[in-house]
Amino acid sequence: MAEQDNFKCLRCGNEYSLPKPEKATMEERTCPKCRSNSVRKVG
Amino acid sequence: MMDAGRHPRIELMTLSEVEEVNGYIGNFKVKVRKKARYVDEKECTACGDCADVCPVTYPDEYQVGLGTRKAVYIPFAQAVPSSYVINPENCLGSNPIACGKCAERCEKKCIDFDIQDEIVELEVGAIIVATGMDTYDPTEMDEYGYTRFQNVVTSLEFERLICAGGPTEGHFVRPGDMNRPKRIGFVQCVGSRMENRGNPYCSNICCMNTIKDSLLLKEHYPDTEIFVFYIDLRAFGKGFEDLLKRSREAGVNYIRGLPGSVMEDPETENLIVDVENTTAGRLEQYNLDMLVLSVGLEPRGDGDPLRQALNLSKTSDGFLLEAHPKLRPVDASTPGVFLAGCVESPKDVKDSVTQASAAVARASHILTSDKLTVEAITATIDKEKCTACGACAKVCPYGAIRWEKKTPAEVIEAMCAGCGTCAAECKFDAINIKHFSDEALMAQTESAVAENASERIVAFACNWCSYAGGDGAGTSRLQYPPNARIIRTMCSGRVDERFVLRAFELGAPIVLVSGCHFADCHYIDANRATQRRVDKLWDKLEKLGIRPERLQLEWISAAEGQKFATVMREIEKMRQRVTAEEIEHTIKVLKEDRGKQESKRKAKAKV
Ligand SMILES: [Zn+2]
Repeated sequence: MAEQDNFKCLRCGNEYSLPKPEKATMEERTCPKCRSNSVRKVG
Repeated sequence: MMDAGRHPRIELMTLSEVEEVNGYIGNFKVKVRKKARYVDEKECTACGDCADVCPVTYPDEYQVGLGTRKAVYIPFAQAVPSSYVINPENCLGSNPIACGKCAERCEKKCIDFDIQDEIVELEVGAIIVATGMDTYDPTEMDEYGYTRFQNVVTSLEFERLICAGGPTEGHFVRPGDMNRPKRIGFVQCVGSRMENRGNPYCSNICCMNTIKDSLLLKEHYPDTEIFVFYIDLRAFGKGFEDLLKRSREAGVNYIRGLPGSVMEDPETENLIVDVENTTAGRLEQYNLDMLVLSVGLEPRGDGDPLRQALNLSKTSDGFLLEAHPKLRPVDASTPGVFLAGCVESPKDVKDSVTQASAAVARASHILTSDKLTVEAITATIDKEKCTACGACAKVCPYGAIRWEKKTPAEVIEAMCAGCGTCAAECKFDAINIKHFSDEALMAQTESAVAENASERIVAFACNWCSYAGGDGAGTSRLQYPPNARIIRTMCSGRVDERFVLRAFELGAPIVLVSGCHFADCHYIDANRATQRRVDKLWDKLEKLGIRPERLQLEWISAAEGQKFATVMREIEKMRQRVTAEEIEHTIKVLKEDRGKQESKRKAKAKV
């Protein structure tokens, strides 16, 4: 399985993972559950 | 193009590519690669003898593949210079065993296979970017049968087929059997206003282009039956509604509904088009000789290197971002660089000419000035405090900070756009931003929580997007809690972690940092620094035993008044859950932490 990045939404508490992007570019983070951008990369 | 080519004060460099851009407004240094043409353009008389003997044939790009050209060719009739050029990727080569026939044939001996690319360095005061656009390739929309059926063409191919300078010399025929089509359909919004395929935006020109084409056909071939399949017709420009009316009066049929499927009758090569006519409320079938896909416009696929060389931002659609959508619509984010035409957004000829004229006027203002007035909001560096660490130079999106090891950093004011990212990044308070100084922003932060701190939300909002979003929420009379104290910065990148920590130290239950969406950043990519800084702050708060949730981050555009109000309402709910004990603990640990940091800094400064 491809490597994953883990995220936690600091608005609704939702925790989710996304495949690590190929390039080290910074993408805008949006919580898939509540659409907040207060998303912290964890772990 | 010929006029520009002949103009004594315009040097038109065709077959050339910008490789590097250095310097700043008024003082750009541009490195251009002038590619080898392998034909002496000054000697060539364009007699065409070389092309006559050239043995290879390729699809002609100018005729969108509907015609052919040789490896040695003139790209199109009005090309500048009006001389032949050899495409080295197509040419068999100079070796007489391989070919070399053109060089042998040319009486004036213009052809030289040893000509090399030339690097030209230019010094210019201003730059106008007018690199145009691409058209959408509808192959992926398989239901329309493009590339499967010969008589399904794009609007650009159609344009070549009816043009006197086109592959059929103006004889309007369909590609399948070279007969004149008498029943023609146009499909609108192909690749435009679509969420899953193509692009979500309206390409602006397609409706009017089809209306123009329909009138052209009716004028030259009155017996042609024309059917236009559309979602909405957008004829909003000067005189455009009149054109649409004339087209309807000329007998053009407008059908609201896009085809669901297109099939080909194998015998006649005619197209059988199924469409739901949403005005009549029924399924209809059309038997057409030809179907024209009105394809949308897209940013150029090869535009990124130039954009990066010029340090420009793009929108989420991929078009170049202007400095301000209303007040500086032709200025790019980099001072001294201007935008014209479809590189900025899809637009028709008139709008392109208007924008180009404005860009030229803006550029000539720079060229005719002895001195330039820079933005009032720029960074200044206190050389006494600067430790020459270089952190500021690394985060400056404009490359406006000159820095060498062991030498204090220096701001090139003409390049500085005033985002303030450098000031927020400097650990030694050596950088300040005029009109948005540390002292001013700190004072605003302190006054935001001076009274009833536990009821406040301290919100930092960037000037261009989230502050404007807040304004939008207000003017739209959207309800949101009144206890937010909004502190405006030019960019969210200006928000120093000290401001955030100070707000918490003075009892703020919640702090919000907000800025433009990544794609809309008015300072190229300064808001990435905001994200990094907030990430670091979340780590720090957690380490100190403060819930990171109390620092919120949101990207809110100027158009998202609704989002602004929603965010404020949600954050207010979060605020109500922050307890007095929590705030007390925060105040205590942050006071201690600040004491520690200050003594550390003092010790470092002494060294
Ligand atoms: Zn969430």
